[in-house]
Amino acid sequence: MTREKFNTIALAGVAIVAFGLPLVVHSATYLHILILLWLYAYLTTSWNLVGGFAGVLPLGHAAFIGIGAYTSTVLWLQYGISPWIGMLIGGLLATIVGVIIGLPTLKMRGAYFALATIAFAEGLRVMVENIDRLGPFVLNGPRGLQIPPLETGLFSFMFISKVPYYYIILVMLSGVLAFTWFISRSKLGYLLNAGGEEPEAAMALGINVARAKLIAMAMSSFLTALAGTFYAQFTLYIHPKSIISLDLSFEIAFIALIGGRGSIAGPVLGALLLRPVSDFSRIYFGDTLPGMHLIIFGAVLILVMLFQPRGLQEPLTRAYNRLQARLFASKAMEA
Amino acid sequence: MKILEVQHLTKDFGGLRAVDSLDLGIEEGEILGLIGPNGAGKSTVFNCVAGVYPPTQGHIYFRSEEISGRKPWDLCKYGLARTFQIVKPFASKSVLYNVMVGAFAITDKTSEAREKALWVLEYLNFEDRKDTRAGNLTIADRKRLEIARALATEPKLLLLDEVMAGLRPAEVDEMVAIIRRLREQGVTIFVIEHIMRAIMALSDRVVVIQFGQKIAEGLPQQVAADENVIKAYLGEEYAVS
Repeated sequence: MTREKFNTIALAGVAIVAFGLPLVVHSATYLHILILLWLYAYLTTSWNLVGGFAGVLPLGHAAFIGIGAYTSTVLWLQYGISPWIGMLIGGLLATIVGVIIGLPTLKMRGAYFALATIAFAEGLRVMVENIDRLGPFVLNGPRGLQIPPLETGLFSFMFISKVPYYYIILVMLSGVLAFTWFISRSKLGYLLNAGGEEPEAAMALGINVARAKLIAMAMSSFLTALAGTFYAQFTLYIHPKSIISLDLSFEIAFIALIGGRGSIAGPVLGALLLRPVSDFSRIYFGDTLPGMHLIIFGAVLILVMLFQPRGLQEPLTRAYNRLQARLFASKAMEA
Repeated sequence: MKILEVQHLTKDFGGLRAVDSLDLGIEEGEILGLIGPNGAGKSTVFNCVAGVYPPTQGHIYFRSEEISGRKPWDLCKYGLARTFQIVKPFASKSVLYNVMVGAFAITDKTSEAREKALWVLEYLNFEDRKDTRAGNLTIADRKRLEIARALATEPKLLLLDEVMAGLRPAEVDEMVAIIRRLREQGVTIFVIEHIMRAIMALSDRVVVIQFGQKIAEGLPQQVAADENVIKAYLGEEYAVS
């Protein structure tokens, strides 16, 4: 058995467990937690395209979630357009917005970019909260939009059971992970990494750093908006505070930083670790200590930054490589 | 034929004139040394040529085209590569990764970039370090990495900014040999250097600047004996007339 084969089998094992979970887990609560877990893994992986590879720290990705959610929901409620189509339209709209924000802001460094993205996302939330009607589109301001679960089925992207949602988000996550893997090995991945780490050197080596970052921003906005539609269809109720909130933007960044920015496994590992913390702290402390999960996140982030500044993926990757080395060393001796 | 021609180049930073109406030219295949005391404006000349700063006045022609005001990434693709005085490796990545970034200037395919990078590393006797993280390299190897990356972009003209500073004498000799080999490959070389032994051995011609102005130009031996140059480096009292 070769190392490649071992990796393939390990990956297939993880996939089988992930896809098989609903056969074992029947509790709606736990399925809900798992769906959110994959949703956050998806969101963070999308974020990672710009926040990880391009080396900037966007803290306003909730804006794109909101654009995706509102676009598909408005189109469905008012025009009966399937949320699947609305999802794509929302994605394209978010791409345009992402490019418009990215053009001036991606030239900023460090904290300035982060602040600019926060400002934009907050601005969008305040606007949506104060707009009841935008031209022909009804947004309902702070009351938000409710999707009546009258027609269930694939076309309307509404299901009574949670299982279809589980599979949809898992397929989306697999897709975005495969996409990230592909990007990280392509020219664009090299250019983004180089531009994120040493912009001046990258420019001297023929890289238009601003353009590479803008492409990453466009892809990231598009993918993030798709998750917005998923979220809307999953909860069937969106309002500005729930979907364009800073909490959401921050949680994505927390997951990425703790799991490991710029790596493929990092966002998934981060979500696996932090989502249960978030959910269980809400279940147990929700009424007494709301926001407890953010305090725990902060504490975990400090510990991780002190001891594993590249995130948890690094020691885990090392452990995996060691395991692999040991397995193959013993195999070699037998042969 | 002149591959690079700088005419009346002037660069101001606020009230400070860093480069003052400088003229210089490099023949194709030549090694031109640019020397001068600290703060003479050498790196500013490089940064203007490489497109980092737009010149305040003057013209820069590279391969018969006016390039003043063009962006660094454009110039790189047009055949002008440079290294940095303060090395800027992509520290978290391997040496091979670093060089591949350079190779992507001439190809879109990852496999071709890898091949090109491996070729460059072998050419510079550097392939044994290809999997080392760039952040863990010694200063000599970091300087070599700067050259490797620049070389992977297949430059016609290579600007070397103090690639020998901080090296031990044996490493300097090795670097001189590498640069000579590059020239044999047909790369024109424009080099800033403080180590006189190296620049004297290497350059076909030397230009000396002080306070942004050219004070001498010629063969290395001529320049070393020039009165103005001795004054600039050592002060008035050392000039024997």
